[in-house]
Amino acid sequence: MSDTHPEAHERWILQTELLWAFGVGVFIAAALGMILFTALTMNVNPPSNVERINPKTLHLAGEFAEHNLGTAVGSDGRVTVRAIATQFMFLPHCIAVPANRPVTLRFASPDVIHGLLITGTNVNTMVVPGFVAQVHTEFTQTGDLLMPCHEYCGLGHSEMWATVQALPDNEFKPGPDGRVSCAKR
Amino acid sequence: MVSDQPSSAASPREVADDVDEVALARVMRMVPLGAAVLAGTAVALLVAGYLLIYILVFLPRGTVG
Repeated sequence: MSDTHPEAHERWILQTELLWAFGVGVFIAAALGMILFTALTMNVNPPSNVERINPKTLHLAGEFAEHNLGTAVGSDGRVTVRAIATQFMFLPHCIAVPANRPVTLRFASPDVIHGLLITGTNVNTMVVPGFVAQVHTEFTQTGDLLMPCHEYCGLGHSEMWATVQALPDNEFKPGPDGRVSCAKR
Repeated sequence: MVSDQPSSAASPREVADDVDEVALARVMRMVPLGAAVLAGTAVALLVAGYLLIYILVFLPRGTVG
């Protein structure tokens, strides 16, 4: 580059911009590659489940009837949690889950839009009336985890929370019907 | 410009200083480099923050999907 050749100077600026664009391209490719890698090897995905349910009748019969809420271990050993998010509580108020085992969480709402997250985990979803919100996860820690509603749902929103009790294997004991309740502490 | 308005060059304060073309060229050679270093540092910090949170916080929290 020479002071007497502005074209050379402009070429140099263009090279700088191309180098920058190349760096940005490398970062985008690396970020996408990392997301793809964790999705394929660790099953880390955005929860997505389009499954309709009638919010007017979900409490009367079927999967989200009161006797069916809570944690259940199927005959194949799969752990499924079913809960209702309603103004202004989660039913049940305490959910027992095993640590270090795949768990499927299923939520439904009979009234308005709710949301939830489980602190210290990646579980985070909306609960929209008319749909079943489903999240597959594995709890990597034990202990009592707070599960608040994180979508403003009315005047009692701040009182709407539940506890998720992540239990070690020796404390997670299903009853004869395959159901598990929170341990008394 | 409307012809009955005075030119800003009528005021001595508004007239540019004499420019040393060689010095200007020297400065202009450094400006893109400085911009690149500043932008590069800012973006590198942002990317480092993203990677640290992804690797040290997000992934240890367990699988989700």
